[in-house]
Amino acid sequence: MIKAFLSIVAKELLDFLRSWGLVVVVLYSFTVDVYIAGSGMQIEPKNVSVGYVDYTGGGISQKILFHLHEPEFVAPKRFLSQKQLSEAIFNKEIMVGIVFDQDFEKNYRKHKKATIDVLLDATAASQSFITLSYLQNIVLNFSKLNIPIDIDIHKLFNPNSDERYFMALVELLSVVTMLSILLPAVVFVREKEEGTWDIMLLMPVDPKIVILAKSLSQIIIIMAGVVITVGLVLFGTFNIPMNGPFFAFLLLTFFYAFTSAGIGLFIASVSEGMMQTAQLSMLIMMPLIFLSGAWTPVYAMHPILEKLSLLSPLRYYIEGCESIFFRGTSFIDLWQYFAGVLVLGSVLYWYGFRKIGKLF
Amino acid sequence: MNIGVIKAYTLKEFKELMRTRMIFTVYALPLTILVLFGYGIRMEVTHSRILIIDNDQSKLSGELVEKFKHSKYFNTTEANISESKALKLIKQAKKDAIIIIPTSFEKRLIKAQKIDIAIFIDGSFPNRAHTIENYIESVIINYLQNYAQRYPTFSTNIIAINPRSLFNQAMRDEDAIVPGLIGLALFVSPAILTALLIVKEKEKGTIFNFYASSINKEDFLIAKLIPPFLLHSVSVLILFLIAVYLFRVPFRGSFALYWFSSELYVLVSLSVGLLVSIVTRSQIVALVLTVIITILPGFLYSGIILPISSMSRESYIEAHMFPVMYYNHIAYDTFLIGQGLSSKKIVLYLIILMGFACVLLNLGWFLLKKELKK
Repeated sequence: MIKAFLSIVAKELLDFLRSWGLVVVVLYSFTVDVYIAGSGMQIEPKNVSVGYVDYTGGGISQKILFHLHEPEFVAPKRFLSQKQLSEAIFNKEIMVGIVFDQDFEKNYRKHKKATIDVLLDATAASQSFITLSYLQNIVLNFSKLNIPIDIDIHKLFNPNSDERYFMALVELLSVVTMLSILLPAVVFVREKEEGTWDIMLLMPVDPKIVILAKSLSQIIIIMAGVVITVGLVLFGTFNIPMNGPFFAFLLLTFFYAFTSAGIGLFIASVSEGMMQTAQLSMLIMMPLIFLSGAWTPVYAMHPILEKLSLLSPLRYYIEGCESIFFRGTSFIDLWQYFAGVLVLGSVLYWYGFRKIGKLF
Repeated sequence: MNIGVIKAYTLKEFKELMRTRMIFTVYALPLTILVLFGYGIRMEVTHSRILIIDNDQSKLSGELVEKFKHSKYFNTTEANISESKALKLIKQAKKDAIIIIPTSFEKRLIKAQKIDIAIFIDGSFPNRAHTIENYIESVIINYLQNYAQRYPTFSTNIIAINPRSLFNQAMRDEDAIVPGLIGLALFVSPAILTALLIVKEKEKGTIFNFYASSINKEDFLIAKLIPPFLLHSVSVLILFLIAVYLFRVPFRGSFALYWFSSELYVLVSLSVGLLVSIVTRSQIVALVLTVIITILPGFLYSGIILPISSMSRESYIEAHMFPVMYYNHIAYDTFLIGQGLSSKKIVLYLIILMGFACVLLNLGWFLLKKELKK
């Protein structure tokens, strides 16, 4: 039994290594892909172009504009009329326009409510939202409250808000998801398409063993890739902190890869050929990757999607990895992520065993 | 070019696609992307879970807590626990932020003495943390402004911001996201459809029909492209209808420009898949490669979440190597702005998309061999 198991694992690994094209693609995704995502992606605004119209004659308005500086903003550009400013925003030369009307300074001096009009290019909503809150805070600091308030903000775990950490990690988790669904799916469906799967089932080996061995072989490939990425890219290049137990990360990754392989098994068992596998795995992978909480917090989504995301193993994996890497959560408190991943995995394998684990 | 041969070959390809019951999944993929992501991806962070520890328990501090409770951006809970216990809640990812109001909040506020409010934010998702930080600050300062206005003894200078967003007046997330999603959907699904078309024949050996027959390379490629192109031309229309009628995104530009640029873009995506199919030797490699070069770049470089202008170095260059960015600029324009061809940038981007199609197809033609490789 053990011998059959091991020889299937070895056979699949050898198969993988012989297909050098596949090896190159997998290595690329685990190294270069993660590196590129981590090194240059930024969500926070940078080089935002600001234009303004000033009907007040300067003074307070200039002092406010003075606060818009690099790296977030390019030095504000003056326009003579609001019409010119709108045109510049239309042509995407300017992203944020600020209008100080005539009463602005008068009201400000008289301690009345002074208003600034801000024009935003909302086709770039993410920049607009964040730029607006930047502006709001600059201006709020300007409204001289005679109450000396000190808002003392501590950002835990990632005090400098280094986005490289986040982007590199999320990219790695996405790559793990894609490969650990695709590789097993392809392994099973290829045998199914070529007809060797039926021969496999006729052999005096428990089909469950065959399925598990084949999944395990692909998981070994994924784990090797993860170790390379974590060592070379995450620690080696980006110096990501590791506040939690490292073995917990490896263990969670292992279970997660098993569950994703279960998704691959599911895809392989319902589809008839490679084309269908390709379409189906896209159909399943994309929502998993983008709606599991990395890009939008799950609690901010539509309520139905929020419930649906409970079915996504990646949801537990992302939260778990964030906890291990950044929050430094103790092993005991990670149980829910392990539980979520394991329960989903078991269900998928149960289905896979039933669906393609027997001949008739 | 031999029209008769192309016609026959196209018919054969079309039947093959239909028989594998592809017709369902061809449309399921772009539909799912648009509908699920349209409802799922949000720019605003609402319902952040915050915990307020009100050590003062006075009328004024209660008012501040109320402010948080009434904001849609927060799911506020109030508790009287120690700081270390509260921090543990963040560690367990049960809370996103903790606000600690000091004991003498009311007394100090009335006497206008210095008040320290401590805020702890979970920084493991940097962008989210940043947004939450800004929201919390705004709520507190807004509260103090209102307080100061009630008591004229605090003479204050108050500046209010009156934001007006052009093109997307209500700052609806749907308007900002859905046009970008069309670019993602029309990149991923055509590419995955063609990615296996040729390599499948190589693996099965039916490619010898092509080697041996008199059909030439360009006719072969055209015949391979026509069925997926026709199928996805329908997607262009379906996605448009969903965007306008389900998500109620305004459409201000010309439909002709949308139609033309989308068809061109579909052609580019199909050529990407076809090129993969030509250079790879097994279906697995083709599949994995297509997934890697379409899903993540299609999302990251679409400009939906990450503005291209603020990317740096490698990512900035890579963003310009993918067609998504160019198409999405046009898509956003046709939906939200409506400048159309009067903008030089759009004309330039259209030309770039044509360039993409030409280069990819020619490269595919060049790399496709009509004999057995040794």
